[in-house]
Amino acid sequence: MAANTIFFMIFSLVAIISGFVMITRRHPLSAALSLVVTFISLAGLYGLLAAKLLFIIQILVYAGAIMTLVIFSIMLLNVQEEDLPAEERIIERVSITTLILLPMIYIIGRSFTVIKDGQFPEVSQDFGTIHSVGMFLFTTYSFPFEVISILLLISLLGVVVLAKRRI
Amino acid sequence: MESFGRIGFMLFLAFIVPTIALVLSRFLQPRFVTASKIQTYECGIKPYGSAWVQFNIRYYIYALIFVVFDIETVFLYPWAVAFKGLGLFAVIEMFLFLTILLVGFAYAWKKGALDWH
Amino acid sequence: MTLTLYHYLIVAALLFCMGMYGIITSKNAVRVLMSMELALAGVSINFVAFSNYITPAALTGQIFTIFIMTVSAAEAGVGLAIIFNVYKNFKTVDMDKIDLMKW
Repeated sequence: MAANTIFFMIFSLVAIISGFVMITRRHPLSAALSLVVTFISLAGLYGLLAAKLLFIIQILVYAGAIMTLVIFSIMLLNVQEEDLPAEERIIERVSITTLILLPMIYIIGRSFTVIKDGQFPEVSQDFGTIHSVGMFLFTTYSFPFEVISILLLISLLGVVVLAKRRI
Repeated sequence: MESFGRIGFMLFLAFIVPTIALVLSRFLQPRFVTASKIQTYECGIKPYGSAWVQFNIRYYIYALIFVVFDIETVFLYPWAVAFKGLGLFAVIEMFLFLTILLVGFAYAWKKGALDWH
Repeated sequence: MTLTLYHYLIVAALLFCMGMYGIITSKNAVRVLMSMELALAGVSINFVAFSNYITPAALTGQIFTIFIMTVSAAEAGVGLAIIFNVYKNFKTVDMDKIDLMKW
């Protein structure tokens, strides 16, 4: 078994198990911490797919910044254990989710017959490096890049407006 | 794949060093448990209240501004690495990007979201 | 056993389904937001895997993933600010109790 496969198994198992822990824990803080573990192991999967920039970004932005924001807001809300909404009727909810996800599962099943050969083609040495992503991002995708800045601006303005009203 | 070897090594070190420290101290430490020793450490004073204190919401704006500029760094990084091959157009692009983000920062500043009263 | 596209698709699908489950079943608003992040992460894995599979010369999927991350950061920021305001007005984060707009 190649080293790639072993690493893939480790990372995907950790990602799935901690994702499962995330959706089953009742307290949001333990859910958030296991979500951090999921994101870090997903960074490992990106690394296996030769996406070197994404590997960094995943750790820096997702595990670093976004999860800080989430954990921070859990501390801000300071919901006590007894104030947490009760999660009852598990079987009902699982079955409803399965019903909603059925088309999705069908499409996934179909993709295995549609995609005949799942073999990855050989990628060049500079695929996914920071340099090549930069060259691609600032030439072909220059317009979406500018739009992203407007999106960030809007989110910043929105939060200032929403958070200013509090007192 | 080779470039991840060093990261893997660092990860390995980061796991092994605290493990050794914890395991070693477990065997070496003398253990005399008293009630005041096992209570939570809080700067030397007697702990009071819950550990779950509610943060001020003002911190949230700082946290969000941190996230926004973190993402800006994410875009600056490939820009800086690929700078030589990109030419003048990329400079203008990044200038626009930074200007738009700075508008948001100036707005937050002007609105007094960064003030601490 | 060599790694194929299928392996990544399975992982991505599992993560997405777990995220969907969280979105549908959670009552805590913060957890709904976190589940959304999980579902987005599953989608991102798909994008990166297909980027390797379909276009080994171009990096379209990876660029998409960078944009997804940015959008999810913005979404988390505004979403959490909205949850704060809801919490201030209702003193709860229970999604079932926030029903002023429900007829």
